[in-house]
Amino acid sequence: MANKLRISNSPAAELDLKCFMNLMVVLIPLLIVSAEFAKVAVIDIKLPDSRGTQTDSTQTKQSAEDKSNKMLLTAIVTDSAITLGAKGGFMPSLFYREYHRYITKDGYDALIEYGPGISPKHPDGRELTDHERYDIFLYSTDDKREIIKSAYTKYGELLTDIEGIAVKSVNAGDTVFALTNPRRRIIVSNPVEFESKPLSAYDELKNRLMKIKERYRDAEDADDLIIAAENEVIFDKIVQIMDAARGAEFPNISIAKLRG
Amino acid sequence: MGCGRFKPNIGNASLNITSMMDMFTIILVFLIKSFSADGSILTNADNLVLPNSESRKKPQEVNLQIAVTSDMILLDNAAVVPTEDVKNISAEKHDPFIAKLEEKLKVCLAMEEEMVRMGALNAVQGKIAVQIDKNIDFDVMFKVMNTCGKAGYNNMNFAVMERDD
Repeated sequence: MANKLRISNSPAAELDLKCFMNLMVVLIPLLIVSAEFAKVAVIDIKLPDSRGTQTDSTQTKQSAEDKSNKMLLTAIVTDSAITLGAKGGFMPSLFYREYHRYITKDGYDALIEYGPGISPKHPDGRELTDHERYDIFLYSTDDKREIIKSAYTKYGELLTDIEGIAVKSVNAGDTVFALTNPRRRIIVSNPVEFESKPLSAYDELKNRLMKIKERYRDAEDADDLIIAAENEVIFDKIVQIMDAARGAEFPNISIAKLRG
Repeated sequence: MGCGRFKPNIGNASLNITSMMDMFTIILVFLIKSFSADGSILTNADNLVLPNSESRKKPQEVNLQIAVTSDMILLDNAAVVPTEDVKNISAEKHDPFIAKLEEKLKVCLAMEEEMVRMGALNAVQGKIAVQIDKNIDFDVMFKVMNTCGKAGYNNMNFAVMERDD
């Protein structure tokens, strides 16, 4: 009969992937060219019109601003402390010790304490350059220049008590607040989930700024912060302070200079 | 006898590219994820390392950009003044500024005003993208910012690198 089923003796048919391969070969180089591996962002700074920076304002416009409802919140940055000041006075300074993390092309990775006149060295004897400095850590210190330890979540969030004071350790059943904006309440069930780390001066600064924000939300310049720094303070530190300020809802940042 | 030559009965041999296709698919997904249609609008230089920041704000296109490296201050990729000279400007001055940079910035602002008159721009925005090497002193940064402000460029966008989560 003509209707007999014929069983083919050929191997299993394969999908022809040639055209798909051609597409991949074109698409992948195109995407590699337009890929963004390190993402660039921006921080907005708007200087007040008619003056370059805040330098003039601190002296000539002070009297007019004294009569207004302005806080004139200022962060004064030196090589050993950050001090928050406003029209009414100054808060206690936040003293810190500075550590630099160096990573070199040959895989050397070290955290070295920074101090005036100290030039960090590679194990092979050469001096480490500024461009091998990967990160700067500022650790808060007490009166004896000892680094303060504080409790952090596993996501690196500082823990504070209800009054916004950094806690050193946590026990089961404690109620603490993570330094997010707004603060996140945590009831500790397993203290092992939290770690004790040196208290970052940037975190403590953000904590203090958040407390100021909560208290003086009605001030005319409640969103403004002036950063006044010494000449030698490097730009990287200023950016970290700007981050802390913006994290505490101070988006309008101005720059001023400390007078000698 | 069992010494006859073994002849495998195969058809046309074909390359198995299944694993290669798997690899391509993974690469494709990764590349699509990091695809950017914006391109780079910033200056590239060996001695210009931007600081890391938590900012997630995307850079917008601006007409003018200034880059401050450890060697030189560049305006739209053209060298204007050595950074060492800027350090030597007296810090004790009430209003320290960089004369050469101010001169160039004023020319740029005049061009922007001319474009507004011609109708090519809606308004003079006074916007400038500022890229500062992370190891530059505050003194230099302040003088650059003060000069930009004096010349009429009050809206500054500091370029930073997004910190990895």
